[in-house]
Amino acid sequence: MPRLYPAFKYTVIALWACFVAGPFMWAATTSFKDANAVQGGATYLPWLQYEPTATGWRNIFGGSGGVDVLGPFLNSALVTVAASAISLVLGSLAAYGLSRFRYRAGFVKNSDIVFFFVSQRIMPPVVLVVPFFYLLQVAGLLDTVPGLVIVTVALLLPIAVWVMVDFFNGIPREIDEMAMLDGCNPLTAFTRAILPNSLPGLTVAAMFCAVFGWNDFFFAFRLTFTEIQTLPQAIVALNSSIPPWWTLSAAALFGISPLVLLAIWVERYLSKGNLSGAIR
Amino acid sequence: MARLDLADVGHSYVPDAAEERWALKPLRLTFEDARTYALVGPSGCGKSTLLGILSGLVTPSRGRVLFDGADVTDLPTKARNIAQVFQFPVIYRSMTVYDNLAFPLRCRRWDRARIDAKVRQVAEALDLGGRLRQQARRLTADDKQLISLGRGLVRDDVAALLMDEPLTTIDPQLKFTLRRKIREITEQFRPTVIYVTHDQYEAMSFAQELLVMDGGRVVQQGTPEQLFEAPSSTYVGWFIGSPPMNFLTVEHAREGLSLGGRPLAAAWDAPQVTARPQVGIRPEYVRIVTEPGANTFPARLRGVQDHGAQRVLEVDLAGQPVRAKVPREDGVPGVEEFLVHLPRTKILPYVDGRLATLP
Ligand SMILES: Nc1ncnc2c1ncn2[C@@H]1O[C@H](COP(=O)(O)OP(=O)(O)OP(=O)(O)O)[C@@H](O)[C@H]1O
Ligand SMILES: [Mg+2]
Repeated sequence: MPRLYPAFKYTVIALWACFVAGPFMWAATTSFKDANAVQGGATYLPWLQYEPTATGWRNIFGGSGGVDVLGPFLNSALVTVAASAISLVLGSLAAYGLSRFRYRAGFVKNSDIVFFFVSQRIMPPVVLVVPFFYLLQVAGLLDTVPGLVIVTVALLLPIAVWVMVDFFNGIPREIDEMAMLDGCNPLTAFTRAILPNSLPGLTVAAMFCAVFGWNDFFFAFRLTFTEIQTLPQAIVALNSSIPPWWTLSAAALFGISPLVLLAIWVERYLSKGNLSGAIR
Repeated sequence: MARLDLADVGHSYVPDAAEERWALKPLRLTFEDARTYALVGPSGCGKSTLLGILSGLVTPSRGRVLFDGADVTDLPTKARNIAQVFQFPVIYRSMTVYDNLAFPLRCRRWDRARIDAKVRQVAEALDLGGRLRQQARRLTADDKQLISLGRGLVRDDVAALLMDEPLTTIDPQLKFTLRRKIREITEQFRPTVIYVTHDQYEAMSFAQELLVMDGGRVVQQGTPEQLFEAPSSTYVGWFIGSPPMNFLTVEHAREGLSLGGRPLAAAWDAPQVTARPQVGIRPEYVRIVTEPGANTFPARLRGVQDHGAQRVLEVDLAGQPVRAKVPREDGVPGVEEFLVHLPRTKILPYVDGRLATLP
């Protein structure tokens, strides 16, 4: 009987792995095919079943009939990095305040404020896009990188606040108290004593910010037109009435590559145990 | 280096709670300059709260805190110049051992040479001298606590040094030496020291004066000798001393008191109350004797605890349990029934759990 459990466990894991890896396999093989190979039914083995070509990959880097995704890639990177950085800074400051000080405005307490932040993400994005459009238009920031950064910060800040409040609540108050006894004010206590203890929390928050920021299609699609294009937009723009599957696959793989690298890096960091037991 | 006064200070963590439920009931206390105090009491009796109020980490619900007569109740922690060591190690993870120790001094803008001298002196005393350049987070828990302790000891101009069970997590072997080191270092600049501990031996060996707390109140303040010789309540008698004080219920007789039908002579007049009084006597003063005489009572052996150099005999005296702490050489009485002598001058009267006023 006890042997059956591991067998069962690994079967489930294997099935799940196939389910998760399947689409990537499909995209990876398709990105090296041409029109004929795609139409010829499902094939997976290069050279044996189909003749690999790099057309798809050439197309996304400015080859004929394709586009250059490098520009949109840089735009996406810029927006994601800037918005994540701003969200982390503002978010951890807000979270520190919410974790350590008590606010009260009528019946509104700390937990209500935290929920208010999170509730920004519960609302369907469609509700937000019209006000955003209007506000950016008033400020003259439609179709610009700064405009997109501001909107992305608004999307990422709730995540950063939420993750960091939870994290700071787990840091013993004695750490702040020690810093105050040593002669810090609340701000220096935060920068000197709390932040160096917060790498795990910041890493998790940064992960979330990067993923959500990088994957945003909807807001970029609605709030930019001709000047600025982010990567998800560029990939969608590749589509046409006859979908160029090979080019789309290459673009999709290229699009997720930064997140895959990030995941591998953070995973190594996690497995070294650096994210747990970090306080004492 | 200051006299600390608490004037009618009380604290409740829960707003609008009845005073009976406050973590610290309103009290009046003075900690004299350059004296060493130990705060003892069971878990949750308000020791840490009291320290927090002194250091400004807790704002009292009521009352004023005075340092050398100046009102500091509304001053933030930073402005009060207090050093405090917590029970668990708290360190700056991103700094080296040296920087951890120097940080409080840098925050106060001491000049570099003075910081260096002080850090090295304290590190040397705490046996951290060889590890000053190491990252503080790589040290063991014990050594981290040494850093915490060291940070409390580097500033020699503090108004007071508060220590909240600083050695609880430390290896017992090291405890003894560390206690001596703390004394050595504090001797040099003689701050007012308040030391919280669960360990009464630590309290007695470390402090000049003890404060026993219970349920948010200070139930007795005094020197170790006073607490040992004249506990103000049965609670203190029970809390201080090992084994705790014996309390025996006695009867009023025509001439004074009687215990188990035999007269009990004491150095005071029997308290004039209707309730049945109790008498207290420390196990250290209970004697096993062979000759009958005044204040000797027949007793029966119930058990023996070996405490190394001493033995604690648990005996039954007129139906009440009594412990006697006797030197090991005295041996255990060979017979089941023997005599116990309660020295007249060592018996104290208690009524309703409190020490009755001595004439
Ligand atoms: N931050 C807080 N919020 C609410 N109640 C608290 C808080 N800190 C302490 N208390 C309560 O106040 C009372 C006194 O706590 P305090 O920490 O002063 O006790 P203590 O004597 O230091 O105990 P210990 O020996 O366990 O450290 C306890 O009943 C505790 O539950
Ligand atoms: Mg405590």
